[in-house]
Amino acid sequence: MRDAYDAVIIGAGHNGLTLGAYLARSGLEVLVLERRHEEGGGLCTEELTQPGFLHNVHANYHTFVDLAPPVNDLDVRGHGVEYVRPEVQMASIYDDGTALTVHTDLDKTCASIARFSEEDAETFRRLYLEAHGYVDLLLGTLMYQPPMSVKELTKALATFGVEDRSEFLSVKLRRETINQFLDQHFTHPKVKAHLAFHGAVCAYTNDVAGLAIGFPLLVGKIDNWHLCIGGSHRLAHALWRDLAQHGGVMISDADVRAILVDGGRAVGVRLADGTEVAARKLVASTVSVEQTFLEFLEPTAVPEELRVRVKNDVKHKDWTLFSVHLAMTALPEYTAAEFDPDVNRAWVVNLGYGSLEELNADFAAVRAGQLPDPKPNAAVNSLYDPTDAPAGCATGLLRQFAPFAIAGGGEGEWESVGRWYGHRCIEAWRTYAPNLTDDVILDWVPYTPLEIAQKLPNMVRGDWMMGEVSLANMLDQRPLPELGQYRTPVDGLYMAGSTQHPHGFITFAPAYNALQVIADDLGIDAWWRHV
Amino acid sequence: MTRTYDAIVIGAGHNGLCLAAYLQRAGLSTVVIERRHEEGGGINTEEPVLPGFRHNMHAQYMEFFDIMPMIQDFGLEDLGLRTVMPEAQAGITFADGRPPVILHRPDLLDRTHASIARYSKADADTYVELKHRAIALQQLFAAGLYSIPQPSGLDEQGAMIEAAFGDLGVGPQFLMKSPKHVIDEFFETPELRALLYRASVEWGYPIDGQGLGAGFLLFVMWTLGNWKLARGGTHTLAKAMTQACYREGVDLLENLMVDQVIVDDGRAVGVQTRAGEIRATKVVASNADLRQTLLDMVGEDHLSPLWVKRARAYRYGPSHVLGTPCFCLYEEPHYKSARWNEEIDRCFYTMVGFDGPDDTVRYIRDAYMGRVPKPAAGTWVNSLWDPAQAPPGRHAATGWYFLPSASALTADEWTEVRDTFNERFLDVWQESAPNMNRDNVIAHKLYTPDQMERKNLMREGDFSNGEFAPDQLGANRPFPEASNYRTEIGGLYLCGPSAYPGGGVHSACGYNAYKAIAEDLGLPSPVVAERGY
Amino acid sequence: MADIYTPEWYEEVRDAMNARVATMKSLPAGALQIKVEISGDGVSPYVAEGSERHFLISIEDGHCAWYREVEGDDPAVTLDYRFSGPATAFDEIAAGLQDPIGAALHGTIKVRGDMRFLMRQAEHVKVLLEAYATGVQTSWPLGKPPYSVDREEAARA
Repeated sequence: MRDAYDAVIIGAGHNGLTLGAYLARSGLEVLVLERRHEEGGGLCTEELTQPGFLHNVHANYHTFVDLAPPVNDLDVRGHGVEYVRPEVQMASIYDDGTALTVHTDLDKTCASIARFSEEDAETFRRLYLEAHGYVDLLLGTLMYQPPMSVKELTKALATFGVEDRSEFLSVKLRRETINQFLDQHFTHPKVKAHLAFHGAVCAYTNDVAGLAIGFPLLVGKIDNWHLCIGGSHRLAHALWRDLAQHGGVMISDADVRAILVDGGRAVGVRLADGTEVAARKLVASTVSVEQTFLEFLEPTAVPEELRVRVKNDVKHKDWTLFSVHLAMTALPEYTAAEFDPDVNRAWVVNLGYGSLEELNADFAAVRAGQLPDPKPNAAVNSLYDPTDAPAGCATGLLRQFAPFAIAGGGEGEWESVGRWYGHRCIEAWRTYAPNLTDDVILDWVPYTPLEIAQKLPNMVRGDWMMGEVSLANMLDQRPLPELGQYRTPVDGLYMAGSTQHPHGFITFAPAYNALQVIADDLGIDAWWRHV
Repeated sequence: MTRTYDAIVIGAGHNGLCLAAYLQRAGLSTVVIERRHEEGGGINTEEPVLPGFRHNMHAQYMEFFDIMPMIQDFGLEDLGLRTVMPEAQAGITFADGRPPVILHRPDLLDRTHASIARYSKADADTYVELKHRAIALQQLFAAGLYSIPQPSGLDEQGAMIEAAFGDLGVGPQFLMKSPKHVIDEFFETPELRALLYRASVEWGYPIDGQGLGAGFLLFVMWTLGNWKLARGGTHTLAKAMTQACYREGVDLLENLMVDQVIVDDGRAVGVQTRAGEIRATKVVASNADLRQTLLDMVGEDHLSPLWVKRARAYRYGPSHVLGTPCFCLYEEPHYKSARWNEEIDRCFYTMVGFDGPDDTVRYIRDAYMGRVPKPAAGTWVNSLWDPAQAPPGRHAATGWYFLPSASALTADEWTEVRDTFNERFLDVWQESAPNMNRDNVIAHKLYTPDQMERKNLMREGDFSNGEFAPDQLGANRPFPEASNYRTEIGGLYLCGPSAYPGGGVHSACGYNAYKAIAEDLGLPSPVVAERGY
Repeated sequence: MADIYTPEWYEEVRDAMNARVATMKSLPAGALQIKVEISGDGVSPYVAEGSERHFLISIEDGHCAWYREVEGDDPAVTLDYRFSGPATAFDEIAAGLQDPIGAALHGTIKVRGDMRFLMRQAEHVKVLLEAYATGVQTSWPLGKPPYSVDREEAARA
């Protein structure tokens, strides 16, 4: 690499690459540095089991396709990304053999819900249509711009009289849980459980106060779940290609250890091997707040108060995910297909949560460090991706809500319980899909919360959202109020990763929003803003 | 919608990437179509066992970095390519703790001399002399490697080696010898012989291959000790090459298998994929293996009977079939032999489990005969040189076992090998390095030839992509009629290791294929005068 | 009383906006260019089906400086907002029959541009929209919304 670039970006996850590509397209000389040997961060696809079985080790669901501006601005599809929007997006299979399916066809979704409650089906239709109407507006307001405060938002919503014009949006949602929202509007426990499950997979935990505010938005894109053909890593390649085609450079195996500061200004970085690279205009960090402020910056570079707050006040998710990756010779055949044949075509399946209480109980157990009786969710990408497994085979993914530290043993315990718990998750799956016998499962590996933190240390304590998802840790309060607008106390140093508003997930939003701030500060013509 | 490019390159292995970069720079709109989700083919680094422990799944060391044209021409060092060249390059260690033999970088041959001289001063002198000759010939070798091979007669070849080594007793008859014959004739030390046998096989020359002895003198002696480690793993080279392609404007389509090369009136005009047809107005170049290219993608209907016969007769393995064990370690191995020379503990490549030449030969011959050999390996602990390849304070070790061809064992037998062979090797390893007990091994995994075949379509798990034998080397590769990268299908070229010079990370197949295409289409020559090729 | 979408009508809209804005305490400084894109939906007689009529509105320091009909996008003009939707919706808003905020909220009219600014200037935006919807006496030479034609029927036809 050369000695100096205009912009040096730490971390080649989707946010780092996105920010890099925009800046490169804006004429800056950009360097994106990645600690791992692969770019992509959570966009990580590996043959964890057997050759030819492509496992999405982290991000699997791309729910912001065609909603996030970078998808078009950076011509992601032109760079070879193929997205599929599965017709049967998701399902819940309940332990009584019934099942609920969510389709890209609203009528089919409502018909499925109506088998449990016709009233709920009508409510869902109204909620979906209402939310679908304002999904663009809300995304533009809540996600794809630097955040406002809750107070400002509340005031604007009141001025516009949104409450009078909407059945489901209301300022009081900022104090309510998704459970409360569901209890108010829906009647059937299984319908509620499915909708809550869907939120939880997006990290909007159903029992956390304030998250109800985001729920209509989640429903507005409940049928926008896309699968990236050939694995999520393809998106990383596309973003990297866009960066490189516009003159930027991504370098992997570049372990940043220090952000160089001169006269209160970030002027470059130093790598583990001592290499120094100068940044003429900016340094952007897309890794964790802890790494950035406690490891990379000299203690004297930032106010001591901020360091203390980073140590004590940065909030992480209180649950994470345990995964099992499987190589199989068959697709699951659910017994619940007798009730609803479409469950066999559902991309993501909730196995067993049939009421809010069951979800609540498991989240309570997980927060206490316990491993619940597995009710994993199962995703079989091979249903819709002809390239992710050898012919006639299928790639499977089980995800189970789980603690990072196990009560009594801490996170280290995962090394000894990983295979055991993985086995239990497979057994749980088998009770719903009895055809998945040992003969059908060629190979499987667990991927534990500890491994998340080991592979991607920016996901502190296995926190795949890079910061708690709660209203208190959203908008301009995320990750700390003084860092809430992507700027930092060090001039020329920006935070542009998922530690920032809105949060993790493949949203592109932290980078996109940091870009707005950087463009304002540097006087870059914001070509992407042209409406 | 049918997409149309000037050139299609099948396969994003490093040769395909190399060719694509030159084609695009020459003004041809170029697409690379890759079946896998990752670029790089055999230059492939993964975390197959535990997070943070990186292992090179195929290619390990890089001996051509100093001469590879693409590195220079596309500024790959600005695009992320960084290397380390360990001082002690190749060594052999012994269970009884007797002195190791260690071969060094070309600038440290005095240390190599001292190491061999512990056993035999004559061998030390010979080794150093042969290395000096090889170093003197480097420019010639490089030019030969990065040029379309020219047929030459045995007389000519005999005269050439006689001119280079005649004063050391080498005559034209050496052309008929096997590497083992040549090694035995030059060296008396069993320990050194054991090491050189394996070095020959690792280059791809079967130890008993009649007619490859001169090649041992020319190529193995040249490259031995020129090994570099790619920082971050060998895949870093693929990344730098890919980035160069991106910057030139090459399109790269992944997860896309080419099912068929579309031939129209004797000319390759495109390819068929699950995503539809992709057309090429000028060039279709295949980095895929020979049989796949000709028999599967082009199809016998479009080929002459001779070409069908030649493709069917092309041989894979058994001489260069490897398994890659991956070990996650607490600490690096400490060898008993280190009491004689502690460099063996910091040797880039270390042979473990061969007590002497008979052991090495038996091991190699077992593998060739389709028998699972007694465990022994060449090993690398790349985290010694590049700490990023393992978590802090830990080590990632990778190795190569020579194993039977993929088809020599049944699926169940390969499963058995995967389940047991590493454990058996660890017993052997511990005999040489007592700290390599089970407590030092956090986890391990073995990647076997049948898996390599499935992963990269590397037939039989043959790293050379076609046996190295006199009738499949030089201007005979893959067969005489196809040796200049052109095929009997107009516009269809070979650019992978089935073509000259074969497997290995030199990108010469891609570079030379570009030369052939450039000649045919009147594109700029890539030759740089100062470089000479 | 001016005919809908005529220069006289824009003048009246502009005056209505400025009259209402005049009473406001704080106004956003600077200039904003807003484009309104009205697409013919086969129901409204004022925009031919399949065609679009574009209007450009310039807001300076909170006041409407001018309002005019334009053709397509002028590359020299950097737009800050773009409102687009079917003609019937715009007609109904101008006739005071449809609530403009509701139309945006329900996605009938798409809004593009800096949403944060829009939210922060909610009072001002609301006043401008109200002026547009109810501030002008409009005459409808080709028929007045709500149109007698059943919209769904027309769409089917």
